[in-house]
Formats: sequence, C-alpha cells, structure tokens
Amino acid sequence: MKISKGHLKAAAFVAVYILALYLWTLPFQDNTIPYGEFDAISHWELGDFIAEQDHTFVKLPAFLDVSYGGNNYFRPHTLWYPPPYHTNFAIISAFSPGRIVPIYLTNAVFASFILISVFFVINRLFGFMPAILSSFMLTFSLRDIMPYLWGQWVERFAYAFIPVILYCFYMYFTTYSKKDNKPLYLYIMAILLAINLLIHPLSFFHTAAGLFVLAVFLAIKQKKIPFNIKHVVISALLFLVLIGIFPYQTGNVLLTFQKPSSEEQKYSPISRLLQWSLNPSDYSGSVPASYFSFKEMHGLWTLPFLLLGLLVLVVRRENRDIFLMAWLFSLYLVLHRDLIGKFTFLHRSLSATAHIFIPITVIGALSIASFIKMPKIYQNFAKYGLAALVVALTLIYNMPQAYSTLNNAYDSPLARLNQGQIDVSEWIKENVPEGQNVSIIGPLPQIMQKVWWMASFSHRVSHYFEGFLTWKIYEENREETIKHHLLNDYIVVDYSDIALLSDRSFVNTWQEFEKANLANHTLLYNKDNIRVYKYESS
Amino acid sequence: MNLPKIENIGFMGIIVLIILAFFYMILGASGMTAVLGIVLFFAVPFYLILNNFELEQDEKLVFSFLIGVGLFPSLVYWLGIFISFKVSIFITFAIYIIVAYLFSKFLGRSHLRSS
Repeated sequence: MKISKGHLKAAAFVAVYILALYLWTLPFQDNTIPYGEFDAISHWELGDFIAEQDHTFVKLPAFLDVSYGGNNYFRPHTLWYPPPYHTNFAIISAFSPGRIVPIYLTNAVFASFILISVFFVINRLFGFMPAILSSFMLTFSLRDIMPYLWGQWVERFAYAFIPVILYCFYMYFTTYSKKDNKPLYLYIMAILLAINLLIHPLSFFHTAAGLFVLAVFLAIKQKKIPFNIKHVVISALLFLVLIGIFPYQTGNVLLTFQKPSSEEQKYSPISRLLQWSLNPSDYSGSVPASYFSFKEMHGLWTLPFLLLGLLVLVVRRENRDIFLMAWLFSLYLVLHRDLIGKFTFLHRSLSATAHIFIPITVIGALSIASFIKMPKIYQNFAKYGLAALVVALTLIYNMPQAYSTLNNAYDSPLARLNQGQIDVSEWIKENVPEGQNVSIIGPLPQIMQKVWWMASFSHRVSHYFEGFLTWKIYEENREETIKHHLLNDYIVVDYSDIALLSDRSFVNTWQEFEKANLANHTLLYNKDNIRVYKYESS
Repeated sequence: MNLPKIENIGFMGIIVLIILAFFYMILGASGMTAVLGIVLFFAVPFYLILNNFELEQDEKLVFSFLIGVGLFPSLVYWLGIFISFKVSIFITFAIYIIVAYLFSKFLGRSHLRSS
C-alpha cells in the first residue's frame, strides 16, 4: 500500500476527531452513571425506554406523560420531538450492551459531528489546512461543550446540518447553468433540510435563514438566479414527503412557531442590533454568565484573527467567501429574532457561534502569510508557522478550560445517582406495575435531580415524587394526600446520601415520618439505606 | 484533499481497527459495539445508495451519515410500533441494503449516475 498525501490528511483528521471524542467522552469514561440537567434526562429516557421495552410508541408512557404530556401542542400525550433522534439512541442501545454508554457515546458522536461538518465544508471550499485547524479548535469550544454537558443534546447535533445544507445549496447554485447543472445537490439539500427539521426545529429555522441569505448574496454576486421548475418541484416533494412521516410532531413544530411569545422586548431595537451576544442577567440562575462572554468562550486571542478573517472575506468576496459571510450573517439574524417577537431559546442560538467564528478566525490567521510579498515556498512555510501558532494558542488558552470542564463534569456524588439508587430503580422497574405511582422521599430540594434520574431509570414516576415531606404538603393535607395519591402507592425512603448531608434535621424528620406513617405498611425492599413500602389502607 | 477510496481495503481496515480498538480501550465492549452500530446502521446503507451517484468520496461519507440518522430511525420507529424493535432494526437494515442494490442495478443510464 502506497501512502499518499490523501492518506496522511485523512489520518490527521481521524486523529483530531479521535482526540475530540476522547475528551468529549471523559465524563462517562470512568463513571458510567448518567448525568446532566433535566433535558439530558428526557433525551436519555426516551431512547432507553424504547430499547428496554423493545417497542416504539405513539402515546407517551405514563412516566413520560406526567412531565411531557402537554408539550406537543398539536397532539397532546404524544412525542413532542420528532422520533428519529431518540430512536437512534434506542437503536444503538438495543445493539450494544449496557444502558448508559451506548446512548451517551451516540450522543457524543452526534454532538461532535459539527467537527466533521465544518471540516468537510471548509476543506471543500478553502482546503485542508483551514479545515483541520477549524476542527481542532472546535474540539475545545466551550460554547459547544457546555450545552452538550447540560443536556441540549438534540440541537447540538442539529447544528451540524447547517453547513452541509448550505454547502449543497452553494454547489447547486454556483455550478448551475441552463446547459449543465447538478440537481442532485438540490435534492440532497431538500432531504437534509427535512431531516434537519425532524432532528430539531430551532436549527431548521436557522438553516432556512442561512439558505435565504446565501441565495440573496450569491444572486447579487453572480447576477443570476438559477431556477428550474423540475428541480424545485422534485425538491419540494422530497421535503414535504419526509416531514409528513411524523405528522403529529411536524404539526407541533408549526403550532409552536405560530405561538405568540409571552416575553416582552426589554431593549431598544438599536441597542439590540448593535449587540452580538445577549445579556447574561436575563438568564441568571439558568445559564452561567461565562456562556455569554466572548473572552470566556472563544478566548480574546482569537478576536484579532476573527476580525482579520472577516476583512479578508469582505475584500476578496469570492463565492466561497460569500458562503461564510452568508452563514455568519444568518447567525446574526437568528440571534436577533427577538426583534420580531421570537424569544424562544434565543440564548441557545448563541451556541452556534463557534461553528462559524472559528473557520473565519483560522482564515484570518493563515491569511497573514499572503500579506507579505515573498516566494511561494516561503509563503507556505509561513502558513505552516501560523498554523502552528494557532495550535499552540488553542492548547495554551482553550484546551485547559475545556479539558477541566469535561473531566470534572458532574463528578460530585450529589450530582449523580449512587449504586444503591440505581439498584432500587432497577428493582422498581422489574417489580412495580407500569403506570403505578412511586413517591420518593429523601433527596433534598438541591439534589432533586436525583429523583428525576431514579424515575427515568425505573420508568416509573408520580405527581408527588418531588418530596412532599420537604414542602410540608403531607403535613398540611394529610387526609387528601392519602386519599388521592399515597393510597396504593409505592413509597421509596432514601437515606443513601445521608453522609453527604450537613443538615441532620432533615434525616430526623424523614425517620420520624417513616416510623409514624409507614411502619404498618408492607416493606418490600430494604438495601443500602433505601426502603420501599407499599402504602395500602390499614 | 482527495480522500483515499473506501474501496482501499488496506487503509480503511487500519483506520477502522484503530477506531474500534480506541473505543474498546476507553469504553469497553459497549463503546466498541456502539461505534460499530453507528457506522453500520446510519452510514453504510446510505453510502451504498449514494455510491451510485456522481459525488465525491467525502460528500458521500458526510451525506450518507446525515441522511442515515434521519431515514434509518424513521423506518425503524414505524415498524417498531407493530413488531419487536430489535427485529425492526434488522428488517430496516435489510430494506435499505436492498434499495442500494436496486439503485445500482437500475440507475445505470441516469444522468446522476457516477461515472
């Protein structure tokens, strides 16, 4: 086998991508207990439930319906997301051993697919060096890593469609002539656009904005509008047929899009137009302020290169430059959609910035070599030197924070279930009838997430799982609570995090409650400081 | 950059072995089979379909995966309502492989056909 340049370049990309996957899988390499915020729980449990039940479903199972029954406005009590994304999790989960690693690894591959998309598009339009550097820098992009860890899994993957769909359109547009054209790109674009909608609507609308801007920019630049009725009709049909596969979910997307926002514009249009990012104070308590900071997310060292890259694009204005400018401008548009009353998930669109900022930054850095007049061979050397500089700066300024964020993600014992909680959840899954209420008493409000994870693991949950004891609901509404809820419930009393609690008064309260109220009921499970009772009328 | 052809068994074999070994090392058998499943179900059938069209190697690879993650689970999902989910995965895989075969058989004279 003769090793060619192509082999070496392919191997280099595989090495970068493997490095990315190594880093992005750090949170579950040594600790295979699931983690993440509420979004992560919902995504994991959807895939896990299908794989464990060995069936898909139209109507939500009871434990999902409790939380998400109203999320599909078009057809309540059905899936609120189109099924493909979570079915992918279920497919891999059914194919591979274990309930955690297959889903988390599939998610890591999906979320990091933006590295492949960006590499592919930049390599096609600007060559290998900018492409591999862009992928390398994206590996450490905190704007991608943070939402990936929190649980905005679906949209992380959906963003990977944007550059590829724009590329298909770009190829169709720029190669179009009356005599010769490549409609295949338009057909693939239509298929990918439909799949983009089936993965996540937020990204679909972002892509649609990108297509519009790219079409306008290219039409101005090329002074032509390619239009072939046959190509358009076939593409439209492909798109409509595909989005029609899941009518309940597509209907939900349309209704959600039409829903008026409950939020009101707080800022003047001018100040919003002049501001790229959003105000962290508007999201305090839900999103850390660092997420809104250019310095924290990209590193200030990238700013001069980014501005230089922009300048290069604006001055050069080749078709490929127009492509990047249109992508960037469409991001600006979706980040300012609040000006037309669309506030939903505004901050989430910010997580798409690195995908376009980084290629422009790299182009800016590499362009420095071409500013100085010198023989081609020296220019090439200078380019390699600048590439090495970009790698070094990324390793010095971006890598440490990205590594520690991934390596230390959810590593507190209070952030993930312990083995006792997993064991009891699996016991409940095997021994408690489906649809039966399970109330879990134990976790403090601060770690209530554990209860959600236990519910998710056991595929059982109830309206009262939040811990009525802590909120004194039980004390104040004892008779009503028993009559309408507790009777025939399974009650889980969980002391397993007892050593981690600083406030012993909680423990005493639980113990008193257990003694006074559950002693006469059937004890079904007693292991690792966790007990399960069947609460029957005595 | 011209990617080495998928048909270049030697190079591709080495890459696949490295990837599988890597995932086995960091995530055990579960990680390795998961990656195998991701490639096998989401990319392979659609790569075989796109291989019949006039596209570059890297285009076929990227398009096939992004199409695969949409079309493969869609069919599995609908079949999985009526039959076992695991069975529906393998039936879907077989269907798409047959589609790829039919494409290669009947697309011979199309202007979209790869030269």
